[in-house]
Amino acid sequence: MTMTNNTKLDIRNLNAWFYEKPALKNVNVKIPDKMVTAVIGPSGCGKSTFVRCINRMHELVPGAKVSGKVLLDGVDVYGGMDVMDVRRKIGMVFQKPNPFPNMSVADNVVAGLKLVGTHSKKELAELAEERLKSVGLWDEVKDELKKSGASLSGGQQQRLCIARALAMNPEVILMDEPTSALDPASTAKLEELVKKLKNEISVIIITHNVSQAARVSDYTAFFYLGELVEFDETRNIFEHPKNPLTERYITGRFG
Amino acid sequence: MAIISRRGKERLIKYICFLATAVAVIPLLWIIGEVVVNGVSAINLEFLTSLPAPFGESGGGIGNAILGTMIINAMACLFGIPVGILTGMYLSEYDRISRLGAVVRTVVESLSGVPSIIFGIFAYSLIVLTIRHYTAIAAAFALGLMMIPLIAKATEESMRVVSNDIGEAATALGIPKWIRTTKIVLSIAKGGVLTGCLLAFARISGETAPLLFTSLFSFFWPTGIDQPMASLQVLIYNYAMSGFENWILKAWGASLLLVIIVVSINVLVRHLTKPKYKAGV
Repeated sequence: MTMTNNTKLDIRNLNAWFYEKPALKNVNVKIPDKMVTAVIGPSGCGKSTFVRCINRMHELVPGAKVSGKVLLDGVDVYGGMDVMDVRRKIGMVFQKPNPFPNMSVADNVVAGLKLVGTHSKKELAELAEERLKSVGLWDEVKDELKKSGASLSGGQQQRLCIARALAMNPEVILMDEPTSALDPASTAKLEELVKKLKNEISVIIITHNVSQAARVSDYTAFFYLGELVEFDETRNIFEHPKNPLTERYITGRFG
Repeated sequence: MAIISRRGKERLIKYICFLATAVAVIPLLWIIGEVVVNGVSAINLEFLTSLPAPFGESGGGIGNAILGTMIINAMACLFGIPVGILTGMYLSEYDRISRLGAVVRTVVESLSGVPSIIFGIFAYSLIVLTIRHYTAIAAAFALGLMMIPLIAKATEESMRVVSNDIGEAATALGIPKWIRTTKIVLSIAKGGVLTGCLLAFARISGETAPLLFTSLFSFFWPTGIDQPMASLQVLIYNYAMSGFENWILKAWGASLLLVIIVVSINVLVRHLTKPKYKAGV
């Protein structure tokens, strides 16, 4: 692992509020390209808000406000880009698997393109297959492509949601505790997938599970009370944390 | 202390609940039984397809009232269903938190509690007084208005549940809001929306007061929607109090038809609301 890498997201002076209550306080961080960045911290520390500011999902919550810059390859997602483009370039996977229950497995994968674009059936079918293969789901579901997306198991649904995000050809994928609703076997599969994804795109993964951060990530950001306490290579965070708070958190002494 | 044992108390409460249930259910079954017993002999092909017999003569039917109710209800649905669904969609997807949304929500909720006769008088003063004769349009307008709050509420509630869960996924994919609203949220919530429409339809099918002010009655086949029109409800109202045996029998028959319509819709709704999919894990 090396420190010389490209910055994918350059986040500057990011502040966020719910009504008057600050949720993020002046966060500055450079998220590297084609790496997995873990976001850890106790409940209510602003992890989710931080991630949801990156693809402009935070502003959808009533009373939410944001200030600061989030530069995607140097272009500010707040101002420099259309909000729909932001969300297509920065995909997201949620805590609870949320495939569209009114669509088949195959249609779920390409939902974002099928509902908006003008792609041919053949293109969509090929893309669905390709993305299901990238998340390791193809062999499991290739005979059930016409079934409802909600008929799969929880772990399969979550990988389906990742395939759905990948179908938009994002440059970054955000994952908000993607394994918290999954059993250990499904979690292991998903972690393998996360490690594989970074060959193509940048991954930011929120996790409550400190050892998961250690297993899957190259970089780790530790948040506490809305502030970014420490950001470094994961190895450094776990072996030589600079801030005593970080050390106390990762050793399980609070959180 | 223990005049009644714990087990005795359990039993007592159970019996009281059972008794209350009986008080609720027996009159309903009684009504249905009475309607079936008295009405079933009225129903035959002539009853369903012919015009009423002149006063004092036997035979005849209520075909015009059946057709009239179908026309009036269909027009009410044409007006009430789209407006109701769009209102619910607005409340769920476009205006969750503003003051206007809160006002609309309160108005919609209050509307569902307004007595039906008020809707009748409203349609009467707005339409009947303006064109100076009774008309089926006014009846459909009054009934359609009554459907709106019921459908809007059902739509808002079923869409909101979907929206919270699944809608976020659509937004995060960069899908524009109107597509997300119609092709994802509404599409997933359609069972709940359909249920709301059916219940609203069942509700207006039994309403009589709004029709007395609007479509009134006619002894002939419907000639135009701007004219007075026969309906099952007003037919029952007129015939039941006529004191004339053949007409009273027809009123029982018409009542049985109405009960069958309303009960079948409710059974259909129960069938439709059985959960099919479960999202997530």
